[in-house]
Amino acid sequence: MKRIPKPVFFIVAILILVFACTAFFGVKYYDGDVQHTVIKGLSDIRWGIDIRGGVEATFKPAGEVDATDEQLDSAKSIIETRMVSSGITDYELYVDYGSDRIIVRYPWKEDETEFDPVAAIDELAATAHLSFRNSDGEELMDGSSVQSAQAGVNTESGSSSEYLVLLDLTDEGADLFASITEEYLNQTIAIYMDDIELSAPTVQSVISDGSAQITGDFTAEEAVQLANQINGGALPFDLETASFGSVSATLGQNSLIAMGYAAIIAFVLIALFMILRYRVPGFVAVIALIGQLALSVAAVSRYFNVFNSFTMTLPGIAGIILSVGMGVDANIITAERIKEEFRSGKTLDSAIERGTKNSLSAIIDGNMTVVIVSIILLLVFGPSNILSVIFGQSTTGTIYAFGYTLLVGVISNFIMGVWLSRTMLKSIAGVGFLRKKWLFGGAGK
Amino acid sequence: MKRDMNFIGHSKIFFTISLCIILIGIVCNIIFGATLDIQFKGGTIITYGFVGEVDENALKDTIQGATPDNNVTFTITRDILNNTEDEDAYAIQIQFSGEEAIETADQQAITDALTEAFPDNGFVYQEASSVEASMGLKFLLKCLVAVAIASVLMVLYVTIRFKRIGGLSAGVMALVALFHDVAMIYFMYVIFRMPIDSNFIAVVLMILGYSLNDTIVIYDRVREERRVMGPKADLADVFNHSASSVFSRTIATSITTLVAIATVYVVAVIFSLDSVQSFALPMMIGVVSGCYSSLCIAGPLWVFWNKRKQSS
Repeated sequence: MKRIPKPVFFIVAILILVFACTAFFGVKYYDGDVQHTVIKGLSDIRWGIDIRGGVEATFKPAGEVDATDEQLDSAKSIIETRMVSSGITDYELYVDYGSDRIIVRYPWKEDETEFDPVAAIDELAATAHLSFRNSDGEELMDGSSVQSAQAGVNTESGSSSEYLVLLDLTDEGADLFASITEEYLNQTIAIYMDDIELSAPTVQSVISDGSAQITGDFTAEEAVQLANQINGGALPFDLETASFGSVSATLGQNSLIAMGYAAIIAFVLIALFMILRYRVPGFVAVIALIGQLALSVAAVSRYFNVFNSFTMTLPGIAGIILSVGMGVDANIITAERIKEEFRSGKTLDSAIERGTKNSLSAIIDGNMTVVIVSIILLLVFGPSNILSVIFGQSTTGTIYAFGYTLLVGVISNFIMGVWLSRTMLKSIAGVGFLRKKWLFGGAGK
Repeated sequence: MKRDMNFIGHSKIFFTISLCIILIGIVCNIIFGATLDIQFKGGTIITYGFVGEVDENALKDTIQGATPDNNVTFTITRDILNNTEDEDAYAIQIQFSGEEAIETADQQAITDALTEAFPDNGFVYQEASSVEASMGLKFLLKCLVAVAIASVLMVLYVTIRFKRIGGLSAGVMALVALFHDVAMIYFMYVIFRMPIDSNFIAVVLMILGYSLNDTIVIYDRVREERRVMGPKADLADVFNHSASSVFSRTIATSITTLVAIATVYVVAVIFSLDSVQSFALPMMIGVVSGCYSSLCIAGPLWVFWNKRKQSS
């Protein structure tokens, strides 16, 4: 057997444990009362609404309306504007153009005590009221005067191109706007959606032809957003709630604590089983399992900043359970194989060598099939949504988390349960007082 | 040398047991029918929490009075978690008969009526779920297509990796074992009258991976023993010897998995978390079935197929 130096075991084990501590608890320091998070831990995981509690709703145009993509984008930007203005930043919002649906999910706000989800949903879907107001807040004109708005580029202003929003007014709107611009020339007129100020341009000239330009330091995105918001005030349909769901925060919090207990108890039981049955290989397996679990947690808590933001749901926890099961299995297969090699009369070193070698193909084949399952789930239920042509955009959801944690867990299993676990085993086998066959699964003393 | 266990010799017993369970399942399916959760078939459930005793008839009248257009039913369960010292806590689930989503105004009306009629019981809105029928069905179909794609790819993988022991036969028999396990989980839902929800899909996916892993570990050993014992050796002996060799691994892995999931289940029962319970119980059935189907269904079928091919 190719010997691995003794200190390797201790170095790897300590590194795994240190990594696990930082992954579970995070690294934080206090600067006065301000908390700085250096590394994100378990408490920084963004929990899904099935755990933390929150609201999920699907909106559709009321009646038999076939909404255009632009109209849906406008409706979406209304909802977005309202959520941001009420301090909800942690939301998922997307449009299913195929079936004319707008789906929104968001968790409870942290300090929320009295919250009425029904009212909140109704508020989001309410018809937007667009208004043009003077500096005293007096309403001068409303959204019914606006025909449409679109983002454009001003190429006339010479050297640098400038993004702007073009307003097209109705016939009555044009007359009204002409008198307004005359009265408020060189003053600001603010554009409001409900009670949220969208923009406050200054009237630079009297506009009588019903076609106005709003300029400012817009980026392309800002111009498109403002145009969408203004269009939202002139949508030809109301939004109605197609489906909604809400989970109260206490219910979610309790299930989280319960799952935490379950995880700790299950882990202790598995650790006891492994150590009692397989002794030294079992002990090594437990360290590797801690490492695997820590890698899975790190991948969902954004320990490594390369991963995108991720929402952890109950199926996501199931994915971790399955991958830990696969990790335990990889170590059991190896330990059982070493036992078998002892039975056929091998020495300690050659039993470990042959046992690890002969068990590798079974572990790889078993894990590869799970990788296939998880990749399919990620593609089907994730952002790429490969079946959206048939089933529409709206059918993503919690199963994505299952695929994600499963894939991450199986990759962690290759790193921890296979590679590092074997490195540690071969290294610890060189430690003098442990070099006894029965400690590695051989018969008798 | 330990004596090999005779899996092939007893295969008739194994097949009979599985067929009996499947038959019972089909009969139950015909009698009871499978119920789909509102996630898939559409509909509305609203849950409220309350404390103390409530007259059920008065409750029914109040709820029905608040939404005269809908036909509602409800179930009341104990809520141990929120018990106070003086009074017991309960949860009431109100189910609407239709398969369409209700208006948010209807829900508001019920909340108002309940708090007005029973001010002492502290009715609190807990959760609601309301799904449109067409969207639910789409989601179910998509889940099934995802499972089908994953299954085909897994069989393809097994066929390629185990070319030396019959390839396609190994892949197809692994698939038969997977169908067996999915059927067991499905019948478990039917027999216990549990509605089929997205948890069902997650459990099926997990068991597909788990059961196939079990089958592959055995196939892997067969592939290896076939090399050691030579091409002349009887396939039944090769399988019995391989399965016996990996038997202690199969048992150890199944026990650890079962212990872990049973822990989750027990904790979920103590905390009365329905969603987690309905997740953990079928998973336990699936683990047992997955372990059984690899040893007693996929293996013997693979032996019979290849023996027939040899003799023809």
